[in-house]
Amino acid sequence: MRVPVSWLREYVDVEMPLDELATRLSVASAEVEGIERRGVADDGGNLGLFRVGRVVEAIKHPNADRLQLTKVDLGEGEPRSIVCGAWNFGVGATVGVALPGAVLPNGLTLERRKVRDEISDGMILAEDEVGLGSDHSGIMVLPETEPGTPLGDVIPLVDEVLLVEATGNRPDLQSISGIAREVAALYDLPPKQFLNRTSSRTMLQPPAGHVRIDIEDYEGCPRYIGRRFEGVAIGPSPVWLRARLNAAGMRPISNVVDVTNYVMLALGSPLHAFDATTLHEDRIVVRRARPGEKIRTLDGTDRELAADDLLIADADRAIALAGIMGGEETEIGEETATVLLEAANFDPFTIFRSSERHRLRSEASSRWEKGVDPHAALAAADMATGLILDLAGGEWTADTDAHDKLPERAAIAYRPERADAVIGVATEPKEQYALLERLGFEHKKSDVIVPTWRARDVTREIDVVEEIARFRLEDVPFTLPARREMIGLLTREQQLRRRVEDTLVGLGFAETYTPSLAPDDDTTWKLPEPISVELTALRTSIVPSLVEAARRNVDAGARSIALFEIARVYLKGGDLPDEHIHVAGVTQGGFLHVKGVVETIYAALKAEPSFERVEDALLHPGKSARTQAGIVGELHPRLLEGEWGAFELDLGELFALSSEPVVYEDFVTYPAIRQDLAFSVPEQVAAGDLVAAAREAAGSELREIRVFDVYRGEQVGDGRKSVALALAYQAPDRTLSEEDATRLRDRITAELGRRFGAELRT
Amino acid sequence: MADWGQHEQEAARAIAGASTTGELEDVRVRFLGRKSELALALREVRDRESGMLLNGIRQRLEAALGEREASLAGEELDRRLREEVIDVTLPGEELPIGHLHPITQVRRAVEDAFLGLGWEVRDDREVEFVEYNFDKLAFAPTHSARSPRDTFFFDETRVLRTETSPSQIHIMEEKPPPIYMVSIGRVYRRDAITATRYPIFHQFEGLAVDKGLTLADLKGTLLHVMRALYGPERRVRFRTHFFPFTEPSIEPDVSCGICGGAGCRTCKFSGWIEMGGAGMVDPQVFENVGLDPEEWGGFAFGCGLERTAQLRHDIPDIRALWEGDLRVLRQF
Repeated sequence: MRVPVSWLREYVDVEMPLDELATRLSVASAEVEGIERRGVADDGGNLGLFRVGRVVEAIKHPNADRLQLTKVDLGEGEPRSIVCGAWNFGVGATVGVALPGAVLPNGLTLERRKVRDEISDGMILAEDEVGLGSDHSGIMVLPETEPGTPLGDVIPLVDEVLLVEATGNRPDLQSISGIAREVAALYDLPPKQFLNRTSSRTMLQPPAGHVRIDIEDYEGCPRYIGRRFEGVAIGPSPVWLRARLNAAGMRPISNVVDVTNYVMLALGSPLHAFDATTLHEDRIVVRRARPGEKIRTLDGTDRELAADDLLIADADRAIALAGIMGGEETEIGEETATVLLEAANFDPFTIFRSSERHRLRSEASSRWEKGVDPHAALAAADMATGLILDLAGGEWTADTDAHDKLPERAAIAYRPERADAVIGVATEPKEQYALLERLGFEHKKSDVIVPTWRARDVTREIDVVEEIARFRLEDVPFTLPARREMIGLLTREQQLRRRVEDTLVGLGFAETYTPSLAPDDDTTWKLPEPISVELTALRTSIVPSLVEAARRNVDAGARSIALFEIARVYLKGGDLPDEHIHVAGVTQGGFLHVKGVVETIYAALKAEPSFERVEDALLHPGKSARTQAGIVGELHPRLLEGEWGAFELDLGELFALSSEPVVYEDFVTYPAIRQDLAFSVPEQVAAGDLVAAAREAAGSELREIRVFDVYRGEQVGDGRKSVALALAYQAPDRTLSEEDATRLRDRITAELGRRFGAELRT
Repeated sequence: MADWGQHEQEAARAIAGASTTGELEDVRVRFLGRKSELALALREVRDRESGMLLNGIRQRLEAALGEREASLAGEELDRRLREEVIDVTLPGEELPIGHLHPITQVRRAVEDAFLGLGWEVRDDREVEFVEYNFDKLAFAPTHSARSPRDTFFFDETRVLRTETSPSQIHIMEEKPPPIYMVSIGRVYRRDAITATRYPIFHQFEGLAVDKGLTLADLKGTLLHVMRALYGPERRVRFRTHFFPFTEPSIEPDVSCGICGGAGCRTCKFSGWIEMGGAGMVDPQVFENVGLDPEEWGGFAFGCGLERTAQLRHDIPDIRALWEGDLRVLRQF
């Protein structure tokens, strides 16, 4: 919310430095995100060059049809001659004038100069020229004021705006007066009377007439005040009001509409005004929508209404989407002479649901959905009534306040010691009650009575505790919980995950994070309303995202590309997806390179990998393998040009294979016998099968076996290859003899011969 | 040869005088070679006394020769190595070294900071029931996060979690207090991708439930964590705030590390940087998981990992953390 300080001052004495006030509010009430300075620069006497003037002469410029030549009395005795391009004023008008030397908010410095041979000794000001608004349709016509008066005394030429971001639980801070009340409480200042500036008719006499109001749904609308005004003249609002709306970030429209917005900003209770003559049967009905009912709202959109949309209707049709936006057919226009003012109260959830359904948020709806004090409606109606009569004239002819039983102020049983126990710093009960009273609470025996404007967020003892805490935040000391039953330890999975990360980093991989939402790939977990095609469905594998990242790196000219990511994937599951944590990588290099990476991951985890051929859509159909925890292979060349390896492993499966903690084996006392053997086998025999069969044949005394060469050529013949194996034989309890080694070799040779037609090469 | 004593002295002088291994070899041949006087004499020896004398001379000379040879060889090696000077400023062999992503580095720093305090670390599911993401955390029916404009819904009951806070409910349902846990993981919000927002990001969420916990314990814990993440000079302050599942709620600020609190662009000239949300566990949340709020107290907090990484490394654009660009990743 934008809080113009000049407006705030109307309700509380702001004498402290603004920076300090901003910090205080930020710490104890609502964040002040910034202080905006508006209007005319206030240095080097610049402000003194802006004065009130009275036009004493106005004729057409002798040499220019579109210009006026005026003489303006600035209280200096001799009037000044000023050339002006606007025609919306004449002799006798009170206007704002900038004198030569004045610096305007747009940075321009005024000079005395000749315009088509006539001297112009200043400038008659339009709103936009002093930063009060965007209007440049004519100059500002001011209420009658003594010529020569500093212009800053009449309109807020210089202003500061606090940008206050109140939290959702504090609807009472969605208004200037609410912020003022908070400032008064923080600084222990007396709040001023809220209604002082707004109307000359402080004692309003309610008329005898009534507005016919039928509330069919008190749950959605606990209160509806309707007031009729007749003989109203719609026109622009005066400069002071327009300036305030502009400073607060709202666009001025016309006097009656501006009054509703002004009062909303001032008091926090939104209002609406209808052209009363457009109402059928001159009545207001508050009800839920009927099947098939429609309305065209003020933004020009036709809306189909749903059964729980709360409506303001007349005898037979919807005239407003309650609390959100009025209807076009009953809008206030230039010709409107009879106005029906609505000051109501609406149920937050009802407004929230409708605002959601229609994707329509307004200044009003954002207040209603946070919850507005039903008691504020009457103050808002009174303030608006005074202003309408002041600014648009006419007569207040009818008044009805329809409501069910209005909520009473809640009493909460309160233990001041509870605040001390939660906050961790003691506050004397007497002081606590004093702080609460500054905020509008009352103390009655062991209860505190909650002010109506805090009824929504203060409902329990702990909420009262928070009120005390807000004042004490800076006094809270720094302590740590007394340590009992606390054991900080990573789980096995968390430790092993770090090891996988570190292993890949050691292998030269750069870790990356990519979105877990991907383009839809017929996966189960699809968002019905994604924000983009790229972020539509939860991914079931990580490799495609890494391929994208690798491609971007290729395009950027990177070398030695190797990327990995550890993240969740989301499989079908049941009511919720089956979420698994995967590690995936994409690296430059062929199958054996990436397989080496996977083997190293297994080795780092003390797990034994196995591999078999598999076909996977992402991978080269001839160069891809399945391993216990996932897949590894060369990327399919259609995905990325060149030779690339990819893998994706399920961390849960990997960790299940880890044989940690390692059990020590004695490979030291009794030395190993090493042997290299080469077998000639038919081409289609897989090296892995040879190794597995050899292990099976030799048993536990074969400690190590590793393929170190594969050879094809004349010596082995067509359709065959030679696979060279390095073996080590070892027993834990004795030194093996040459005879033992020969026995083992013969067993291996026989088994490989029998199963694969392998021949030992010598 | 009459005076073997003189001969030995002469040989010893020659050994000492040899200045290269080559000269020494000449000396060896001359005094100890197969045709040397000593060798010839040894061959002629007939009596034990002469044999002992001559063998003694030979052994002493051989020892002296060996010593001299080792010393000359050492000197020559030194000389040769000194000639093998290379340009030590040439680059070393390029060995692979990878990089942990800054978010992972932050994650580990957070884990370690809490492990040091005796807390446990959790990682929970990302697709949640509305019940866990909102209801049990006491979100009001009108809270704006319940809007599909802010949150990714699959349907009325299932969402991509909007914060790591559902972990609070999970752990309180799983085990009785005392609880000290930090949950770290991905969360999702319906934001357009910009320099400051990304619809997917990471949070760490702490929860402490025990007897007698106060706002002061929260303040002290956050001070410890902020100093672990940003350095020992940092200060922490609290600002009042609102979250559905804490009461009182606060936002912790950490003093700006760029300007030291004096005010700069990074801290928007306030000297303080917003760190996330925190507060004392709302009694309603305790009731929702069957704990007695009169018996148990607690505090909770949540912060973004991306934001932490950005502040630690002065990364202006959050997208840099999500694009897998090696020019970015290789800096860390």
